[in-house]
Amino acid sequence: MGSFEYYKPESVAEAMALMEGSGGKGVYISGGTDVMVLIRQRKLSPGCLISLRNVRDLDYVDTSSGLAVGSAVTHNAIAKNDLIQKRYTALSDAASKVGSLQIRNVATMGGNICNAAPSADTACPLLVLDASVVIAGKSGERAVPIDEFFLGPNKVALGPGEIVKGFAMPAFSEKTGSAYIKHTRRQAMDLPMLGVAARVTIRIDGNEIGCRDALCTIDNISNVLKRFEDEKLVCEDARIALGVVAPRPMRAKKAETALKGKVISEGLFEEIGEIAASECQPRDSIRGEAWYRRDMVRVLTKRAILRAVDRVIRPDDTIWPERLW
Amino acid sequence: MEGLKYVGKRIPKKDAPLKATGQAVYIQDLKLPGMLYGKILYSKYPHAKILRLDVSKAAALPGVRAVLTGADVPNNFKFGFLKDNPPLKSGKVLSTRDEIAAVAAITQEIADEAVDLIEVEYEELPGIFDPIEAMKEGAALLHEETKSNVLKLPWKFVNGDVEAAKKESAFIAEDSYTTQWVTHCCLGTSGCVASFDVSNNLTIYSNTQIPSLAQNDFLEALKVFGLKNKRVRVIQNTIGGGFGSKLDTYAYEYIAILLALRTRKPVKVVFSREEEFLATSPRQPTITRISQGCDGNGKLTFREIEMVLDNGAYTSWGATTPSVMMVPISSLYKVPNIKYTAKCVYTNNTYSQAFRGYGNPQATFAIESCLDELAIKAGIDPVEIRRINANEPGEVTPQNFRITSCGLKDCIEEVVNRLDWKNKHGKRNGRGVGMASLIHVGGAARVYKSDGCGTIIKVDDNGKVDVITGSSEIGQGSETIIAQIVAEVLGVGMDDINVINNDTDVCPWDVGVHASRTTFVAGNSALGAAEKIKAQIMEIAAKNLGEPVEALDMQDGVIFSKNDREKNIPLAKVLRKAHYTLGGRMLVAENFYDPPNENFDQTFRGNLSVAYAYGTHGVEVEVDRETGQVKILNYIAAHDVGKAINPMLLEGQIYGGGLQGVGYALGERMIWDRGYLKNGNFLDYKMPTVRDIPPVQAVIVESDEQAGPFGAKGIGEPGLVPTAPAIANAVYDAVGVRIKDLPITPEKVLRALKEKEGQKV
Amino acid sequence: MKKEITFTLNNEKINIEADPKWTLLYVLREVLEMTGTKEGCGYGECGACTVIIDGQAVNSCLYPVMEAEGRSIVTIEGLMAKNGELDPIQKAFVDEGAVQCGFCIPGMIMSAKALLDRKPKPTDEEIKESIEGNLCRCTGYVKIIDAIKSVGGGR
Repeated sequence: MGSFEYYKPESVAEAMALMEGSGGKGVYISGGTDVMVLIRQRKLSPGCLISLRNVRDLDYVDTSSGLAVGSAVTHNAIAKNDLIQKRYTALSDAASKVGSLQIRNVATMGGNICNAAPSADTACPLLVLDASVVIAGKSGERAVPIDEFFLGPNKVALGPGEIVKGFAMPAFSEKTGSAYIKHTRRQAMDLPMLGVAARVTIRIDGNEIGCRDALCTIDNISNVLKRFEDEKLVCEDARIALGVVAPRPMRAKKAETALKGKVISEGLFEEIGEIAASECQPRDSIRGEAWYRRDMVRVLTKRAILRAVDRVIRPDDTIWPERLW
Repeated sequence: MEGLKYVGKRIPKKDAPLKATGQAVYIQDLKLPGMLYGKILYSKYPHAKILRLDVSKAAALPGVRAVLTGADVPNNFKFGFLKDNPPLKSGKVLSTRDEIAAVAAITQEIADEAVDLIEVEYEELPGIFDPIEAMKEGAALLHEETKSNVLKLPWKFVNGDVEAAKKESAFIAEDSYTTQWVTHCCLGTSGCVASFDVSNNLTIYSNTQIPSLAQNDFLEALKVFGLKNKRVRVIQNTIGGGFGSKLDTYAYEYIAILLALRTRKPVKVVFSREEEFLATSPRQPTITRISQGCDGNGKLTFREIEMVLDNGAYTSWGATTPSVMMVPISSLYKVPNIKYTAKCVYTNNTYSQAFRGYGNPQATFAIESCLDELAIKAGIDPVEIRRINANEPGEVTPQNFRITSCGLKDCIEEVVNRLDWKNKHGKRNGRGVGMASLIHVGGAARVYKSDGCGTIIKVDDNGKVDVITGSSEIGQGSETIIAQIVAEVLGVGMDDINVINNDTDVCPWDVGVHASRTTFVAGNSALGAAEKIKAQIMEIAAKNLGEPVEALDMQDGVIFSKNDREKNIPLAKVLRKAHYTLGGRMLVAENFYDPPNENFDQTFRGNLSVAYAYGTHGVEVEVDRETGQVKILNYIAAHDVGKAINPMLLEGQIYGGGLQGVGYALGERMIWDRGYLKNGNFLDYKMPTVRDIPPVQAVIVESDEQAGPFGAKGIGEPGLVPTAPAIANAVYDAVGVRIKDLPITPEKVLRALKEKEGQKV
Repeated sequence: MKKEITFTLNNEKINIEADPKWTLLYVLREVLEMTGTKEGCGYGECGACTVIIDGQAVNSCLYPVMEAEGRSIVTIEGLMAKNGELDPIQKAFVDEGAVQCGFCIPGMIMSAKALLDRKPKPTDEEIKESIEGNLCRCTGYVKIIDAIKSVGGGR
């Protein structure tokens, strides 16, 4: 391994200037949990490393309108943030499941997203939370919708030298909930076999939400959904995103359309699961078989929506009852 | 056993403070003056001819001190159980872990870089990766000097008349079961430092589990290298995990020796994690055809098993695992008629070795899964069929094992009660319970000419005791167990005892840490030595106190008369009196304990072990019918251990073994795809994390084994033996599908569920 | 080109000439010869190299040493008191039988220490979270959890 310089700029402008000075051989490094691995594997031999860890203007969580998260915010900071847990739950779900605590203490969301691995855990939540990527470049800042940011495996819409400053998400109504389900073989230190995120905004025509108590029990899921149907719980808005089952993290747009404006019922759930499964393009790999991934998209899409709905109905309950599915 | 002061107590491990402060020195931490760093180049292909090997660029790299290839291995030296494995291969490679060149350099980085500069040209050859294919007529031979890819090993055991028993059986269950490669995942990787003195005597720092046998292997190697009449000293650093992985000598050790010989410097070879996955030897995959029968009352009538083991490209002791598979096959439950054959087959895969349980888990998976199937056919509760056929004390099994203590029935009942079997079994509602039992050697295992262990005890003028034992500490706690036994016998404190166990120059012979034998054999050896030294001490004390020896006892380092406590003398004073006197003496005792067990005869009969360990695991699972995921809700591991010398350490063996078993059952596997390892890293191998542990209870059943030290039997391996079938049986009870191929992945469960419901996958 | 960096290691200011390509683990083990911190994989997948940086458990094998500048780092060598007394978490690991081969233990203890410093009486969930990145092959984790719990008086 050849030696290299290690720069620690304190501002975005300084970082970009260093990158320009490196003649294209520099590599930005944030938490380093991916870059350092690539260097050790000799898959990457940078001319210099330009650290974004000390750039203060990348380290912010701003909740004044919607949610704005700096790219250098660590997964652990996101996972433990009260507002994110409450209002952008899919994101804290995902951030809290990345790697291990040691990894989450240093690994940043900016790094996770810019690597653009199909398995990036935070990608699906950002997709369902309508995030835009704030990018700083020589000619100033621009914002790109997250769905347009991922171009393919390890490819993102970043120009030479550009830096992702952060991610901006709109404010959602009170009746909005979201969830991310990471399907893994182990319960920690694992990459997802697939990941599913969902966001729903619901409308309840009646005054009282009777299905609340059903959700608190270990009642059969069919019965819970029956209650939803009886009480005419309408899904006003929906987003569904899938990870690992396509070359890039993707939205299941047909499934979203099929869900929007409908009264939630078991039949609808089955339909949505099937549609989402038909939209993905999973592959066989050592980490999972394609047929299984597709089938899990079907199953977990239903569960992610249900969990998102539950979070609207029971905003203060953080514990999801153990159910026999 | 009333009044025991040290034995039976939860005494912390003696070496724990050293390890908890980071002061223990593992092979990774060892640096010798002038030491060089070695690195090995492995084959790019699983089967190929080496057309050209050019090391000139590597040799020219500044800092490189030596580059070796197969041509540098003197006199065609080969090692391994069948001496079929050259430390550096030339001409042809047979697997992707084949070592073809090695470098020694002044830093690890330079060594790594140099290896990349070695140029190799190969001609790829078609490989054989399936043992069934390899056995076929006309299959290409891996080793041209052999007549067949099936190893010439005589694994066959027959008792009674299986064919006749089949005809008389009321019920028969028959099926095939398969198991996967799993690897030890020692957190400390393999490694050694080899160093020669001016007279070409070798000192090798190693994390071997078999110091005496390794010493012998290395001496043999030196002879072949032309170094006759030399000494070999094996020193063990703190060992970062064993589990059977270090039960043989390996190419990297011979490579380090050759590099050290070439450079005249100490050479260290320590595996990276990638190498640890690629180039250590996993548990062998098996294909098992099993058939078992019972009469109308559920009494077992016969057991017939044919097994094929993927041996890989070379042969280590792993090829002898069928000898231990025979233990459950012949003797788990009372089965009068037995037929067992096993074939170990060469393939272009990685070669297999010993792993905790030594074949027993593979055999028990088939036996105990099939036993549940038989119970279903016979309409008997799985508990009942096990009760009916459970082993008992006094029994002589078909292999002539003489069962002394046996707590199997107690273990079964512990599981039944703690799992609430009656209320939970047979519901088929997504939750289910399952159980499986085990038999394993519990009083050593005579697989070598000697099954012994030596102990030397010396006491110094200050009353401190040095116990020098042949047995090795690999984390299991033998050092502490031995100290407890000696403390108990002598009546001195734990802190007064120092255990020396890591240097063949000092320590007496021992066959190695295997077969769950250390507490039993090294414990008995230490016990005998302690009694001998105690007799010497008492004899001198008796003279000094003017009391008969029989009247004396020792506690807390003071010898006193049982008749008159006022008549006492501190141990240290006794020792000084013996030493500082005209014609004085130092107090030393030695004891070699070789258990009265038997090697197998030609028909594989003989009392392999002095005692046998039993156990039953029970598990409650919940199966997610939509995802196929299996969640363990409750896990009971009941083990007949004879006597727990140290319940705390013993529980550690059960918990640790149990979780390895859970990994084996539910997720761990090495994915070898046509000779290439696809998941050689911790991320993809899926060994369990703390998030994956089930709620577990370790239940200790004490059956007081008369031949064991203070009644103890071995417990090192049993913890993972019955785990997989217990879980497989519980999955069946939960959702009615039987997974016969380990590991029980969500994909397999879901596929089986869908097939059961007539859905296409 | 080596660069001079300064950081606090186990409460002592330390000044070294570091190659920018070095990891913190490399510096600890190879430069400072503090071998208590272990390398189990080199990829952040086992946690054996865990150290505490500014109060947080971090895999030192993935941590560029240049980032150590100005920070406070605690390793396993920093826990024992000057008089040789073990830190309560070290003592708990010894007394509860949480140590077998011991290779994972320094990292495991540092993860636990980072938790206990922040949360003296952690819940089971917090204990599991704290060591979910520390693989152990010997113990089945049961007694490790017991040990951490015992320090918090939670048993």
